[in-house]
Amino acid sequence: MITQVYFWIFSLVAMLTALGVLLSRHPIHAALCLIGTMVSLAGIYSLIASPFVATLQILVYAGAIIMLLVFVIMVLNSAKDEHTPRWDLTASIAVVPAIAVGAFLLMVIEKANVLQPFGLGPADAPAARGTVEALSKILFPDKLGAWSFLFLVVGLLLLSAIVGAVLLAKRHLDTPPETTTSHHGGH
Amino acid sequence: MDPLEPIQLQVLAVILFTIGLATVLTRRNLFFVLMGVELMLNAANLSFLSWSRTFPGAAGLEGQIAPIFSIAVAAAEACVGLAMLLSVFRSRESLDTDAFDGMKE
Repeated sequence: MITQVYFWIFSLVAMLTALGVLLSRHPIHAALCLIGTMVSLAGIYSLIASPFVATLQILVYAGAIIMLLVFVIMVLNSAKDEHTPRWDLTASIAVVPAIAVGAFLLMVIEKANVLQPFGLGPADAPAARGTVEALSKILFPDKLGAWSFLFLVVGLLLLSAIVGAVLLAKRHLDTPPETTTSHHGGH
Repeated sequence: MDPLEPIQLQVLAVILFTIGLATVLTRRNLFFVLMGVELMLNAANLSFLSWSRTFPGAAGLEGQIAPIFSIAVAAAEACVGLAMLLSVFRSRESLDTDAFDGMKE
């Protein structure tokens, strides 16, 4: 019963803040709304017996990705465009395919017949199901498998993403960075 | 008995995915497009975790591994995407997606 109460609170907050992302005027408001979505989704994750992913969600999403987003929004503070309307005819037409995709997904879920939790008795559903220990036994078994290889590939991907971001965001690669000369005694 | 039905989680994931998709399709600001992509990735993660609770034993636990990689890829995507946004803003002085129509002609 208490799980239902928590689920409804978290899901209502998640849906309302997601709507806030869709409808807000300034990007920084949308980013703050997105933090609400991430945090309430982390609460739902911990409700469905996956505390490790919930921790990752708060650390990486709410902590790192949204912080990066807010940082860039603040750097480009002059970038807010008042001349573009939030809603016009094109935007209203573009809502239709989004709703159509959502209806299609709902249909697929309704057709899926594995929605009843099977093999998950009352003794098998403790909150300790998705702990770090249980997940690490799958990620790194004694004989390293596909997931361990994928873990290394993700490390490579993140490294290349860092290098790519520096390459993209730097103005001119061959010039030295602008040194801020100190003005000691320059009065 | 487990009080939380899987259909509730799946429907929530669909709603979040639809809102994210609507954000990507309707908003013209590039920041909103990126945030809509993040919302859709989160909905997919929620769906993964919900299925992982539906399937029994260690087979279902692999559904909790996939969101870890998804989160890592989302971090890389946000990193590169924001850097691209910065460089594109420098060249066009605009974040309106209608301004990026250079491949039309």
